[in-house]
Amino acid sequence: MTNSNITTEEIMAIYPKVAETMADALGRDVAELRRDASLIDDLGAESIDFLDIVFRLERNFKVKIPRGKLIEEARGHLSEAEFEKGGVVTDAGVERLKSFLNEVPHERFNASLKVADIPRLFTIETFCKIVLRQQKAAVIAAAAG
Amino acid sequence: MPSSTGMAESFRAFSFVDRILSCEAGVRIRGLYGIPAGIEAFPAALVAEAVGQLAAWSAMAAVEFQRRPVAGIAGCIELLGDVRPGQTLELAADLESADVEAAAYGGGAIVDGIPVLRLTHCVGPMVPMEDFDDPASVRARFGVLRGEGAGPGGFGGLPPLPIERTGGEAGKVARASLRLPSSARIFADHFSRRPVFPGSLLMHANLELAAHLVSDITQASIGRTWRPRAISDMKLRAFIPPGEILELEARLEESSDHAAELLVETRRGKRLLGSARVRFVSEGPA
Repeated sequence: MTNSNITTEEIMAIYPKVAETMADALGRDVAELRRDASLIDDLGAESIDFLDIVFRLERNFKVKIPRGKLIEEARGHLSEAEFEKGGVVTDAGVERLKSFLNEVPHERFNASLKVADIPRLFTIETFCKIVLRQQKAAVIAAAAG
Repeated sequence: MPSSTGMAESFRAFSFVDRILSCEAGVRIRGLYGIPAGIEAFPAALVAEAVGQLAAWSAMAAVEFQRRPVAGIAGCIELLGDVRPGQTLELAADLESADVEAAAYGGGAIVDGIPVLRLTHCVGPMVPMEDFDDPASVRARFGVLRGEGAGPGGFGGLPPLPIERTGGEAGKVARASLRLPSSARIFADHFSRRPVFPGSLLMHANLELAAHLVSDITQASIGRTWRPRAISDMKLRAFIPPGEILELEARLEESSDHAAELLVETRRGKRLLGSARVRFVSEGPA
């Protein structure tokens, strides 16, 4: 699923609840959070916090977030070989990421971005989009019966 | 290669499930643990450990014993009652999910029909089994627990965990250092291939420090005693090997005559290793 069917209005509608979830998981005040804050670099999140955030979002939004597939989703239609070489994201991969993670300021995509560092790009808005994608997927699945 | 002592202590020195009564892998599990009669005490943190270990069996079975959960997040641990050596814990865990990334579960323990502990919204990150335990031995142990069960009495009590107060401010903050033993029976069982200080014992140490701090704020509730009632938002951030010296801190966040909320944190140098919130309630004459 691309970002094209997620609107700013939809993101803003769920942002307060996502931010509150993030604040609870990270032990911070909501007022400290910004929509474009990097969870790792700005908020000090570690891998255990990502797990915490995902499970809290699942409970709070009644969605199932596919764990371990965030990078796979980010890769989109690109094959693994097209997306990365030796653990470093290719130029095509970076372009794909800039499109998929269009909420992330472009200056954060450095030239030799490592696959392992992709989670550094994730912002609070990234998780808003993840929730929205899962909500939409659930609606489509329910409609398909 | 584990030592012969290590082999002997495996599934004994820090194992708190004697028998699995029923198990639907990755969904639900029920079991029993008989607290050895000869030990001095069995703190609440170990009851929580027992529930977590029961959930772990179901999670490991769900992933064919290729991975195992380790302590990570406990949304809430309600401390409902004390247990005594010689009693039998009826353990239950219901899993929200169990996959290669994490096991999410809740559960509880009952003694003589009375709930003594309840866990909700717990998450254990899954790690490669072979890094921590021998997968074949763990699978074989699962068979024993599901069959006739294990012999009781493997746990011989906690190793000394000396907490030395290092500073603070009466009634507001307490600081202490915790020197972990370099060797102890429990490390041969937790885990057989990689000894790690159990998160439940870190919680136990944090509760002790928190209890010291709340004991300083008794002026308004003379004749009453503080009792830990719940631990929430507990999170462990790193594996802690034997022999470490940890810095503990308990900080009072809110208090009234009837309740006190504390934040407890554990650090090694600047690195935050774990944190939790603890709620105490006061009991006794009004």
